This record gives sequence, structure tokens and C-alpha cells, in this order.
Amino acid sequence: MIPHFPPTESTDPPWIHPRAAYVHIPFCAHQCGYCDFAIATGKDDRISAYLEALEWETSRWKQAQKPSFLGTLFVGGGTPSHLNPGQLARLCDLLHHSLPVRLGAEVSMEANPESLTAEKVKLLAQSGWSRISLGAQSFSRGTLKSLDRPHDPTAVRNAVTLVKEADLAVSLDLIFGAPGQSPADWQADLGEAISLGTDHISTYGLTYEKGTPLEKRVRLGMVRPVGEELERRMYSMAMETLGEAGYEHYEISNFAKQKKRCRHNEVYWANEAHLGFGMGAAGFVGLTRNLNTRDLERYIRLCAEGTNPAFQSETLGPRERVIETMIQNLRRAEGIESHRFFLQTGFEPKAFFKAELNPLLGQGFLAQDDRGFRLSHEGKFVADAVMKRLIRCL
Amino acid sequence: MANNDLIRNFSIIAHIDHGKSTLADQFLLKTGAISQREFRSQLLDGMDLERERGITIRMHPVTIYHQYNGKTYELNLIDTPGHVDFTYEVSRSLAACEGAVLLVDATQGVQAQTVANAYLAVENNLTIVPVLNKIDMEISRPEEVKSEMEQVLGIRPEEVLGTSGKTGQGVDELIVALIERIPPPQGNPDDKTRALVYNSHFDSFKGVVIYVRIMEGRIRKGQRIRMMGQGTEHVVIEMGQFRPNPTVVDELGAGQVGYLMAQIKKLDDVKIGDTVTDAFNPAELPLPGYKEPKPMVFSGLYPSNNNDYESLRDSLAKLRLNDCSFTYGPENSEGLGWGFRCGFLGMLHREIIQQRIERDSELELVQTAPNVTYEILTKKGEIIVVDNPQKVPDSGQIEEFREPFITINFLIPSSNIGDIMKLCTERRGLFSKTEYLSPIRAMVTYDMPLAEVIYDLFDKLKSLTKGYGTMDYEITGFRAEDLVRLDILVAGKRVDALSTIMHRSTAEVRGRRMIKKMREEIDRHLFEVVLQAAIGGRIVARESISAMRKDVTAKCYGGDVSRKRKLLSKQAEGKKRMKQVGQVDIPQEAFLAVLETGE
Repeated sequence: MIPHFPPTESTDPPWIHPRAAYVHIPFCAHQCGYCDFAIATGKDDRISAYLEALEWETSRWKQAQKPSFLGTLFVGGGTPSHLNPGQLARLCDLLHHSLPVRLGAEVSMEANPESLTAEKVKLLAQSGWSRISLGAQSFSRGTLKSLDRPHDPTAVRNAVTLVKEADLAVSLDLIFGAPGQSPADWQADLGEAISLGTDHISTYGLTYEKGTPLEKRVRLGMVRPVGEELERRMYSMAMETLGEAGYEHYEISNFAKQKKRCRHNEVYWANEAHLGFGMGAAGFVGLTRNLNTRDLERYIRLCAEGTNPAFQSETLGPRERVIETMIQNLRRAEGIESHRFFLQTGFEPKAFFKAELNPLLGQGFLAQDDRGFRLSHEGKFVADAVMKRLIRCL
Repeated sequence: MANNDLIRNFSIIAHIDHGKSTLADQFLLKTGAISQREFRSQLLDGMDLERERGITIRMHPVTIYHQYNGKTYELNLIDTPGHVDFTYEVSRSLAACEGAVLLVDATQGVQAQTVANAYLAVENNLTIVPVLNKIDMEISRPEEVKSEMEQVLGIRPEEVLGTSGKTGQGVDELIVALIERIPPPQGNPDDKTRALVYNSHFDSFKGVVIYVRIMEGRIRKGQRIRMMGQGTEHVVIEMGQFRPNPTVVDELGAGQVGYLMAQIKKLDDVKIGDTVTDAFNPAELPLPGYKEPKPMVFSGLYPSNNNDYESLRDSLAKLRLNDCSFTYGPENSEGLGWGFRCGFLGMLHREIIQQRIERDSELELVQTAPNVTYEILTKKGEIIVVDNPQKVPDSGQIEEFREPFITINFLIPSSNIGDIMKLCTERRGLFSKTEYLSPIRAMVTYDMPLAEVIYDLFDKLKSLTKGYGTMDYEITGFRAEDLVRLDILVAGKRVDALSTIMHRSTAEVRGRRMIKKMREEIDRHLFEVVLQAAIGGRIVARESISAMRKDVTAKCYGGDVSRKRKLLSKQAEGKKRMKQVGQVDIPQEAFLAVLETGE
């Protein structure tokens, strides 16, 4: 984790050559009702084998390429903070050797309030981490219960305090539109996140992903999702409240204080290249998207055998690149920047999307200036519908 | 040259699914025309679509040889379609025969179609050989069905034979009955040549293949022939019979059935019902021929993608090569762009044509709601034929607005008489009569506007009678009625392709139902979409589709991008079978909203 001075850098543009890496730690104490991520519960005895596999996969990348120093590193999950201090130290060590970062790099880890101890925070701070993203979701007991989260509100407050004391940047994830959640509940969640001095807040409208226990409960009529109008109102509250508190709404679901944006995630929204390591992780290198197996045992076995654990690979054609760049870019406050979009995809976006762009501008869902075009305030509520209209230009 | 006395020409008339094709296959098998190995289900139904639907549209003649009493008989089977849309084709094939097998399913009894086709056979002076099919099935009720046949068709029970197309039971007896009961053809082979053109098809290698029944005289290969109606002359380059595969012969004589080819390039150059004669020794008078069928049901066909207009035109042209009863002409709709107004014999014909185009050309099509042909007498005394609601002039110019009427027969369980009468009354039907076939089955007859039939009458009949009811109709003429054009406005703009003609008394109710249905079919947009129904500029109903309020994916990080791209692309692609009118995407289903009766 100790930063390095930049070596001779690749001259390839960032959408070809990766300068960001994601590392997945799938282990969790418990599966939350809404979660459809690649996770593993009750498999703590496999953590050691997993770290070994991860070591092989990351060092394989290092050997294949000339050493490349990363600008951002993001360890997500699962619950990376679920690892015990010894396992965490080993993770830091292997990343330090295989995925060196450059000076000033952003190094983030996801953590859950109940598993983040003072000892772990200290270890992370000493190992060069710069940012902790806390899966708080809510400060309301009722909402936490309906989301099937194991922690209580106090744990969130304690965790934020620990991270701030260690002088690391702190981000909170919050969920709105949970069953039974009222606008007042949501307002209270936003208020508490602000008053804790959080640097960065992600607000996610609850999604009922197919196959999750929560989605099943909806299908059986045991849980009633909040209506579209209430969901819209809550999203609107987040924009207003966080805006007033000095947070910049820099991506559809993300708000940051000045200079506190998540640079790693900005790589995704710029649709730039990135590495992905670990079970279920996705990489995007040289216009090819790779996805690792989501099966824990398979991942461990393939790495142990010295076989690439990717199970899906797709090299994008020009059409796919245009669509992906458009849908990712539009999530950002900057939207689509004409010049960069042209360099990245080979198409001048305003000309390319002209047929739908003009009506969407006229209807007030997009806004434009000399640099490009982006979602308007109104457009953010219906971003997917706007993107679908633009896709029809292809 | 066959001796007339040894020839028998016959058709099989039957309701759909009464087992006609299977029985026909049994003939081929029994007479050795095909081997057991070749015996496959429904050999005579050449087209996939027809096989799927269990119907026969095209008439394939088949020549079979059979030994009986030491003589070889030539039996010519001319297949007939079994659906109300194809009455005209049935009458064509009957005109080429002296006899008809009247096939009735012993489990289902006499159906409306059977009655209609049997009457056609009687009108053509054909000898009827009545047969009960499927007698091997446990649920067959031969005695009841025989009494129905006696009641409705005046057939004596002792004349009725029994067969099973599946097992072949009774087929030998049937062949004997054909030879003994059906009279041999009359004409003299030494008279001047007259042959009836009763069908044709287009072969992409050989050009037009004409199906003929020689009435008098003979036709030889190499002969110069004249089409008496068209006045054109051709040289016969090939002729033959279907046994069942095309088998070349050098000559066909009076009484025989076969095909001939004469280097004719277009199907339109051959008129069905025309008379073929010898160009050097022509007959004085042509045969009576047929009245050409007029398409009675019209609808617009538009490519979803405007760039496909030319491909659609090519497909329609190709289809017409083989089906002259289908018509088309270019039309332009403000809302839908360039497309075609197509004319069909009926609803099934329309459905089959559309499926065939989509299957052959892989085009995505949007079709407008069907309408019948109307006649308008203007104040100036002109008669305008209206096959498209867009052609209706201002009401001030209309003296009389006329629509086609039909006589419709329903054969139904007597317990459903009340339901059917209610159904017909709701559809402006005028009661004509009820006849009992047996204590439990009845035939109900109504006069009714054709327009009321093309929507959902058949489906309603089937559901009311639990599938036991059947219907058949014929067009009787045009009558003046109080008709109006109902317009639909989407987002304030009249969409011409959604206009329909209907009776004033039902227009408001239908207008309300139509836009209610459209409201369900049109997806929410980024803005509110207002739907209105109007009669002559007066708004009679309004619905609105509220704007989409929230549609956004919360998380989209590295691993989600491709999945999201595929999902959004698929949803955007899903708009394909739609037409964009202004900024509103209208799906195919919404164009057919007029068919919604809301019951």
C-alpha cells in the first residue's frame, strides 16, 4: 500500500490502458434481503484459500504487463471488513506487492459498520488506505430491519467516528424507498449523514433484484414497494438537502463535498479501462470486458490450477462502445463531453444522437452547452428512458 | 386416352378438422399412388402455414388409378378449402367435378360450413356421397349425426358410409361407392375443345401452371391454344396429371383433369374461370366460368421501419403471384408513412397473408384495423367505393352511406339460441329464422352488416357455445345505414390510420372502449399522452396516459455496464413493432384497439 513514484507510464489513453483496479472480497456474515452481489456467507474457513487465489490472480497481471502504477484501487464486497485483522494484513500485503499505486492514489475499502473495529481502522490507515465507504443504508431501526441489515444505528455513528479519527475520507451508502420508509424517515437519514461530517454520500433507490429474498417477498405480497411518486419525492429530497449542505450531485446516485468525489467510480462513468480481481469481478481492458466466475470454489480452484478465472469475455464493437459510453457518461454531472466522446468512440455525439437529442432538449430532459450535453434536473428522474430514446438513434 | 366411362371426378367437402386431408391420404395409400413409406400426414396441404392450421387453401388435384371389376378407373380428387373465406374457391373446384364426398365428423356432427358447401354442391348438380368420418373413435355418435344430415341436408341415413381416415376403415367401400354412385363425365372427346381453367399457381422455374378440367374435345402437347376470355394464344409446352407427383402426359381428353404450362409469365395473364380452346378450331361459346371474388376486408400494412417499404412491396408482389384473390395498392398515411392497402377475402385470409409475408421476408409489420368495403352516394349522384376510412368525404357531401350485408347461419347447440340471438342483436342483426336439426341442435339465421362479423363474432360464437357452434355467411348486397367515421387523436393529432367507420348508434361507446384499450397498450412516455375519440370533429371520449415519473437505475459500476447496455438496448429494440406518430410510440396492439368490444 505504500505509494510509489510514477514509473515510465503507458501512453495509451485511459479507455484502453487501465489505471484503476477493483478487488472483490465476497465474504459476509449474513446475506441482506435485497442483495444480489457475488457474496459468500458461512464460508469463513475459505478466506485463506481465497486470499491465496487472489494473490495468484493479481500477481499474474503484474507479470503479464510491464509494471503499471495505479491511480485508484477499490476493495469492495461482500464485506471486506469482515476479514479479521490478520487476514486484512495479509490482503494489504498482497495488494502492496501485486498492485502498486502511485503517489496520491485513491485507495478505498468498503466496510460494514458492525465489523469495522478500531484495530482494523488503524491497520488500514497505516497500510496507506485513504478512504472508507460504509454500508450504513439508514439510521432508522425500522428501515434497517425492513432491509434485513444486521447492525443498529449506533454502530454507524461509531464507525464514522473511528474512520474520521484515523483521518481517512468517509463515505456513506444510504437507501431510499425501503418498504415502510416515510419521507420524514428519509429526511432524518440525510440529516444525520450530513451532521456526522461525511465526505461523500451515495443514495440508492431500493431495487428489487430478481432472485433476492426481498423480491420474493414482494412477489408473494408480503412486502409492498413504495410507489413511484414517493420514490421520486425521496430522490428529489436527497438532491435538495444534500445540495444545500454543500454536496455536489456529481453522479445520479452520488454526492460529494469539494474534492471528495470517488475517483475510482469516476473511471466507470467515464467508461474507461479498469482491472477486476476476485470472484465475480469485472475488468475492462483494451476494449474487452471480462467477468470472473461467481462461484467461490470454482474461483479458488481455477486460480490454484493456474487457470484464468474469467468465465465471460466480450470484445466491444463500435456500436456497443457508443452505447456504453453514452449510458455511463450521462450518469455524470458533466454528462457527455463532445470532444472526449469523439476521441473515445470515434463519433461526434451531438451529430450522432441528433434525431433524439433535439426533442429531448426541447422537452427539457437534456441540457447542452459548447462542451456537450447532460441530463437536466428533470432528466435525472427518468435517466433510463432518456437513454433508451438515444439508443434508438443507432 | 381414357374412356369417359372409366373416369370419376370428385371433391371432398368438409368442415375444418373433420379429417379431410387424412382421408385423402388414405385414398392415395389404398390406390397405390403413394407407398406406406411416403404416407405422411396431410400430404395434400403443401404449405407449412396451412398444415399448422389444419386447413387447405390451395386446390391440388390428384389423379388416382383403381382396379374395380376388372377395369382400371381414373379417379380425380380435387381438394377444396374448408373455411368461410374461401367459398369462392370451393365453388371453383366443384365446377370441375360430377360428385362430392360430403365428409362429416361423427364426433362433432353437421357444421355450418358443411351445410354451406353441401348446398354449393347441390347447386352445381353434383352427386353427393355422404360419409361419416372418425367412426373408430369412442365418442362418435353416428346415429345422431345421420339424423342431423337427414334433417338439414335431406340425406337418407342408409346412403351414409362410415370411414376412419386414421385406420383406413371403410375406405375401400367408399372408393366403390365413388365409382358406382358418381356419374362419369359427359363431354365428347371429338367435339370442339373446351376446358375450364379452375385454378393456377406460379412455379418460379416453369412460370404459370394452369389447372384444367377438359369438358369437351382434347388438348395435346404442342397444340396452339386460345384463352377465350383473355383472347390470348399460347403453345402448350408441357402437360400432365398429379399422380400425386406431376406426371407428364401427351394428351388429356374430355372428362379428364390435369395441368398445362404454356410459357405464361404472370399469374394475372390467366383468368380463373376462362375457357381454353383450340386456336385453329375454336369453340363458338366459352363455358360459363365464375364470378371473380371481390376482396371484402381491407387493412393497411405498413413496415415498422420506413426503409423497408420497397422490401414489403416486393414481398406483396411475390405473394400475389400465387394468390390473385389478394389485392394491394400503395397508400400514404400521415401517421404511418408509406404502406399498402390490402384487400382480403376475409379475416382468415388476411391473417394468413400477413403471417406469410412476415415469415418469408422477415419484415416487421404494423397493420391497421380491418374494415369492409363501403359505398357512398354523394349529393352529386356519384358512387364512391370506400375501402379506407380516410376516403370518407365530409358528411355534407354524403347522400347515402352504404355497407355490405350478409346472411349468416349459425349451427349451434339449442341451449345457446338465446345467447346467439343476443349477440346478433347487439351487432345490428335482423332475425330471419330458426330451424331445429335435432332436439339439441339448431340453425339460426340472421341478416347482419358484414362489418359486425369481421371483428370478433367468430371468437364470441366459439366461447358462447364452448366450441360447438359454427357459422357461415354469404354477402347479399349493400344497404344504406347511418354510418359515421370515428377518428382517434393522439396527443392532439388525428391519426388517420386509426380512423374507423361504424354505425352512429355504437360509435360513441366503441370510441370510449377503443381509447381505453389504447391506454393499456401504449407505454408511458416522458410526457403525458392524451387520447381522444372524435366524430365529425366533436370529441366524444378522452383518456390520458400519465408521464413516466421515475425510471432510473440506482447503481451502475464496472460489472453492471454490459448488463445495463443489453437491457436498455433490448427495451429500445422492443419498440420495433411500433410506429412513432409524432413523439408517441404506438404498438401494433393499439392499432387493433377497435377490435376491442370490451365485453
